[in-house]
Amino acid sequence: MLPQVPRETLLDFCRRMFVIRHFEESLVPLHDKGVFGGHYHLYIGQEATGVPALSCLRADDYLFTTHRNHGHLLARGADPKRLCAEILGRADGYNKGKGGSFHTVVTSLGFLHTSAVVAGIIPLATGTAYAAKALKNGRITVCLFGDGALEEGAAPEALNLASLWKLPVLFLCENNGKYGAGRAAGAAQSTTMAAFPLTDLPKAYKVPAQQVDGLDSGAVHITISQAVEKIRGGEGPQFVEAQTVRWPGGETNWPVVLQNTNSSLAWDVSGVPDKVREWYRSCDPLLIYIRELVDAKQATKQEIADIENKVKADIADAVEFAVASPYPKPEVAAQEYFA
Amino acid sequence: MATDREKPTELVPLLRKMWLIRAFEEKVSALYAMREIMGLLHLGIGQEAVAVGTCSLLRADDYVFGGHRSHGHAIAKGADIKRLMAEIAGRATGYCGGKGGSMHIVALDAGFVTATGVVGGTIPLALGAAFAAKEKNKGQVAVVFFGDGAGQAGAFHESLNIASLWQLPVIFVCENNGYAEFTPLSSHTLIERLARHAETYKIPSATVDGNRVLEVRNAMSKAVQHARKGKGPAFVECLTHRLRGHYEGDPAKYRELSELAEWKEKDPIARFMRELKRRKAVSDKDIAAIESDARDLVEQAAQFALDSPWPASDEVASQVTA
Amino acid sequence: MREIAYYEAKFEALNEIMAADPTVHLINGTFLSLSPHRHVYQALAKKYSDRIMSPPISELGFCGLATGAAMAGLRPIVDISTGSFIFEGWPQVANEAANAFSMSGGQTRVPVVFHLFHGLRGGGAAQHSASPQAMLWNNPGLEIVLPSSPRDVKGLLKSATASDNPTIFVDHVQLLDLKGDVPENDTPIPLGVADVKRKGSDVTVIATSYMVQRCLEVAEKLVNDRINVEVVDPRTLVPFDMATLMTSVEKTGRVVIVDETHQSCGVAAEIAARIVETGFDKLKAPIRRVATLDVPVPYSPPLEDYIGPRKDRIMEAILAVLR
Repeated sequence: MLPQVPRETLLDFCRRMFVIRHFEESLVPLHDKGVFGGHYHLYIGQEATGVPALSCLRADDYLFTTHRNHGHLLARGADPKRLCAEILGRADGYNKGKGGSFHTVVTSLGFLHTSAVVAGIIPLATGTAYAAKALKNGRITVCLFGDGALEEGAAPEALNLASLWKLPVLFLCENNGKYGAGRAAGAAQSTTMAAFPLTDLPKAYKVPAQQVDGLDSGAVHITISQAVEKIRGGEGPQFVEAQTVRWPGGETNWPVVLQNTNSSLAWDVSGVPDKVREWYRSCDPLLIYIRELVDAKQATKQEIADIENKVKADIADAVEFAVASPYPKPEVAAQEYFA
Repeated sequence: MATDREKPTELVPLLRKMWLIRAFEEKVSALYAMREIMGLLHLGIGQEAVAVGTCSLLRADDYVFGGHRSHGHAIAKGADIKRLMAEIAGRATGYCGGKGGSMHIVALDAGFVTATGVVGGTIPLALGAAFAAKEKNKGQVAVVFFGDGAGQAGAFHESLNIASLWQLPVIFVCENNGYAEFTPLSSHTLIERLARHAETYKIPSATVDGNRVLEVRNAMSKAVQHARKGKGPAFVECLTHRLRGHYEGDPAKYRELSELAEWKEKDPIARFMRELKRRKAVSDKDIAAIESDARDLVEQAAQFALDSPWPASDEVASQVTA
Repeated sequence: MREIAYYEAKFEALNEIMAADPTVHLINGTFLSLSPHRHVYQALAKKYSDRIMSPPISELGFCGLATGAAMAGLRPIVDISTGSFIFEGWPQVANEAANAFSMSGGQTRVPVVFHLFHGLRGGGAAQHSASPQAMLWNNPGLEIVLPSSPRDVKGLLKSATASDNPTIFVDHVQLLDLKGDVPENDTPIPLGVADVKRKGSDVTVIATSYMVQRCLEVAEKLVNDRINVEVVDPRTLVPFDMATLMTSVEKTGRVVIVDETHQSCGVAAEIAARIVETGFDKLKAPIRRVATLDVPVPYSPPLEDYIGPRKDRIMEAILAVLR
């Protein structure tokens, strides 16, 4: 279902989801051509979680994210030019080229530190929540992580601290694993997490927890708004597990785009390669969203195509900007590591 | 629950062992007060039922891991109290040649693999022993003792998860004495029963009165059988009470005296003696003899320890690597 | 000049810091360890109960919490207590706090202090006797402070707290009862300034933390042998004051470095390398290090005594460089 928000906001969500999708897809050829190296992780297939969820926050709230951060940053309004430049290690990147894809930081948007260590940010999130509570500034913290993070000892330690000290933090777990939305009832046990459902873990620490279909933007929006409201009301931490179906292009060591997205796929997947057709037909949250927009008569197919074309042009500009941005001077390596 | 079917011949040895631990800990405490023993010392006075109720069911080739408060666990598993006392006193004749001390007991002859000074530090190690046991397929199990303070450590959770996923024959024994170091459990977590975490990871659990040795034994018997038959891990939470401070030298002002008085009434040894007398398994004379036998053995161990030489200086460089 | 005990100076510092800056929070609190004086800390705990937290045994969790709180406007001081326990929270200290400022291109500051007690303490055995500062020195992005006197602990704790960088405050339980001069209205001691604790002319003994006191005692003994020892205390490893050290080295030409970290890749090793690189031509003898032996710390008292930088080894090293 669609979020209960005004039409302009629905279209804004649409635009942001396109920004994420086309940005992420643009990285793959850049990587494959050797324009940047190293591992990188794409948010394709999770747009309907990130965009509506982050829209529930205030400008001064804190957010923590992981190696799979591009979608969160863009959902929050980061500039694709500077994000792309950072991923390419250029001087105009958000971190001046020092962080790369794993560690992009945009303090003005509330992203203070991005860790690529699984669960590395979870204790940190309890810290910003603790500070906000102590300083009484009304800020909440959203901690975004994947299902794997719950396997790390840092996660239960942080859940315990958050519940014990009633910290204003939302733990938003995006479960894109095989044992998330893709898991049929009664299917085999996960080989890496004995707890099932995952919400049992926070509940064991008396942190209220619920599951939501991460492909359903409306369900995500209402679940997160309610959770955020409770936290702002001083009720302590909340945990939400949003389930999505993993994008098939992310299965291999490096992302592979077997199908470039365009809005028409929402109604016709006949041209999509066999291997991934089913995913695009029924598990792609972006396509689900635009179908819902049209069905609800909130937009026409043409309007959506226009939004998409504008986004594609913006992303092309961002790539051009990033590729043209100079590398940082070598001596920058030995600068600015102490305040 | 305790049944009257157990014969006195099975039960009296339990009392003997509990008395041995009690006498040992009291002697160590006295030696510490006389400064014959140095360093950090944590006594398990009042927690004998858990050690004995558990270890009395184990085989010689089962693995036991402890924490900083493990003299009793080692004794219950069959450690030689002379060598144990000598180790705590830092002598060359100690189990570790004086290198480990009270918190780092290793008594492999008894199957007590190691203790640790790091809260929860041996929980992952016990997983490893259980993993090896499963590979060897001889029905061995691993048991790890830890306190309620370990429940907030990340390693505890990681270990529960792995034990459950890989169905490892490990028994987690949590001695919940309501205090972690100097503060009550309630200031560490909103959870009162650590067995709750076992549930999260789908590990069968039981919570028992840790001051009743037969209740402990009954729960352990099920847990041990479960693990031995290859059905995976088990969790037993024993509610008990630490009758002294966190460590010797700690005046334990942080607890109400009335709380202490109530628990002294629940002293596992006093309780068990009452139970055995009720069953007519022992007389007062027997009890007096058991206590004095225990104290005699401990005296001999203490004498052995104090008569033993200190380790030679060049021992520091020995056995650093194999 | 008034003379007070080290633990009193430390308590004064905490009190003044808490009073001056409402963003300073204490996470965990055994700043006076298991010292019989720890009751003085209780007074502080009562006065600032809303800014002092007692976390569970979750070093990974609370080191991360302190780091995150520092990113968001607080200035936490985390007490890791026994230095060995930093290994439980290591990922947050070494991999998150240390990297945040640099990795973000200078966007995010982490004004957190990690306080710990290092070294041999009498029966601590292998898991309660670590001196992790050498390992932390090899992990860029952390400031490292080691006080050795009442005046130093007060002045350095203030600067460490005021610093916008993650700082490791390395203390020692054997210093707690030490008495020393502390002015009534003292000023913070800037980080990166070494201190000549004893002026001399024959040999430069560079020492850290509790070893400073031990070296001062050895120096007093050597007066009878007409050997005049200069004792230099770096006070901070990061930032490091090379200039003060080299002034002394140029004067005496003979160097002994005494430090409690283990010998291999220890603090003394790094200082020795820097002196050789900077002023080889000033040296009249090879540099000698007196460090803890490369063995896991044994429990038994004679063994523990044996492995540390003993007085007789310090003496022997001084005599060796004078030959």
